[in-house]
Amino acid sequence: MGLSILLAVFVVGLIIGLPVAVTLGVSSLSYLLVMGIPAVVMPQKMYAGMDVFVLLSIPGFILAGNLMNRGGITERIIRFANSLVGWIRGGLGLTNVGASMLFGGITGTAVADAASIGGVMIPGMKKAGYPADFSAAVTAASSTVGPIIPPSVPMIIVGALSGISVGKMFLAGAIPGILMGLAMMVTTYLIARKKNFPKQDWQGFREIGKSFAGAFWALAMTGIILYGLLSGIATPTETAIVASVYAMVIGLFIYRELPILEIPKILVDSAVSATGILLLVGFANVFGWILVSEQIPQAIASAVLSMTDNKFLVILIINILLLLVGMFMETIAALIILFVPLLALAVAVDIEPLHFATFAVLNLMIGLTTPPLGVCLFVCAGIARLPLTPVVIAILPFLFTNILVLLLVSYVPAISTWLPSVLMP
Amino acid sequence: MARIESFVYAACRIGVGVSFFVLIVTVLTQVLGRTFGSSPIWTEELTRFAMLYMVAFGAGLSLRSGDLVNVDVACENTPGNWPWRLRLISATMTAMLCAYLILPAWKYVSIGAMQTSPAMTLRMDFVHFTVFGLLVTLLLFSAFRVIRMVFAGDDGKADVREDLV
Repeated sequence: MGLSILLAVFVVGLIIGLPVAVTLGVSSLSYLLVMGIPAVVMPQKMYAGMDVFVLLSIPGFILAGNLMNRGGITERIIRFANSLVGWIRGGLGLTNVGASMLFGGITGTAVADAASIGGVMIPGMKKAGYPADFSAAVTAASSTVGPIIPPSVPMIIVGALSGISVGKMFLAGAIPGILMGLAMMVTTYLIARKKNFPKQDWQGFREIGKSFAGAFWALAMTGIILYGLLSGIATPTETAIVASVYAMVIGLFIYRELPILEIPKILVDSAVSATGILLLVGFANVFGWILVSEQIPQAIASAVLSMTDNKFLVILIINILLLLVGMFMETIAALIILFVPLLALAVAVDIEPLHFATFAVLNLMIGLTTPPLGVCLFVCAGIARLPLTPVVIAILPFLFTNILVLLLVSYVPAISTWLPSVLMP
Repeated sequence: MARIESFVYAACRIGVGVSFFVLIVTVLTQVLGRTFGSSPIWTEELTRFAMLYMVAFGAGLSLRSGDLVNVDVACENTPGNWPWRLRLISATMTAMLCAYLILPAWKYVSIGAMQTSPAMTLRMDFVHFTVFGLLVTLLLFSAFRVIRMVFAGDDGKADVREDLV
């Protein structure tokens, strides 16, 4: 009875547009009331969910990304990516993907990537003769590499939920993120050849050198983050804050495009963005506690294992479930609610937690570009001033590509586990 | 009402900013302390507490800015005046949830008076207070939205920031 109420209120809350965090809160409270459990459990569990040391890095990484973004990195990264691949057929599309891969090493959130790169690239691509729907689609699709290439907010949350080292999580995402980017470049190139999209003239090695020099300080932030985590000299939180200070120094003194008077506003807005995520974590911890008390992880594991204990099929089932959930649910919320129950199932068929965590995050990121709740899809359609439908149609080849990469990462564990095993044994 | 809302909005933004600033300074103290000797033992605790205060001040603001995300595809595509009505129901339910949890949260705060934090020996009711605080700010901003929608003809949509994401 309690569980039915929990799920019914949860679904209704989502449908009527209640914030996801509040939906989790209302449904959890309904459960507690029906089951006669004192409501004081809720604040207690919310506190326990938020008071996790590794979550402290989230506001820091968001601040670093926003400071860099306002400090003038977007154009520099796009220029560098353009000098590398702009001369190939469909060059601006390739530049778009390349810029997302470089940008992903700085921000860690897909929406930031879609809005920042989309704001420059979509109008630029339209002006150069690319169809608006393709321009929006390639921007939305490529923005999903942001949270896979380190740093990554979803991976920090996985670290908080499972106890897996955030450094290992970041490293596990590096190769899949690069693979995903390269696969999207190939897709872009094939579409460009078929539709005869324009290409630019080769700008020479001098331009590559000049644009690299311009983007160097921004790209170096990825290096600082990885060095901080891999060398063990700093925790993820310390790395995030050092990266923020670095971003501020670069924006103020090297690029000189960060208005000093705007820093307090950027600081507060970044903190508010982080609060939205942390509040979700707090409410979801109550929801998750209820699921665990009701032994849902074990029930899911038993139900699936009663059908099959074939590892190949279990991976397929997990992926199909996550893809479906990712279509309808906010990514972070889906991760928080489903990660622990599905981890129990994954471990039962000998899937390494780090491997499972990587393909689960990658899978849920694909949900950012699928209707009806593809946030990046909305952002890019908005920038391109298009209704959603043509962008959804144009993104289908990229979705297909991303799902292929997902299957590759799911069935070849070494793609995600090799780098952490070498660099953080 | 608008003046009260502006005051609460400004106070919360200052609170969020100060909390985040304390968090940053504390982490830097930790890093610098370790680099040049040994870092103080209270930094880890203070960082966590600063983040919890940041969430307490920022909860209402995140509702207002749209950072508290929702699934709006179904509700925004309903016919007639229904999207507005559903936004009103949503804001009302948010306020009701917070109002209901205020007393249990206060009870949780009072439980904290019996504990102290290990490093700073701070009474934990000052820290548990953040859960009470986040419910209060969320309640205030959802109530402001309801009042604006009912009495000022507001559309009830979040003030999505264009400049930052």
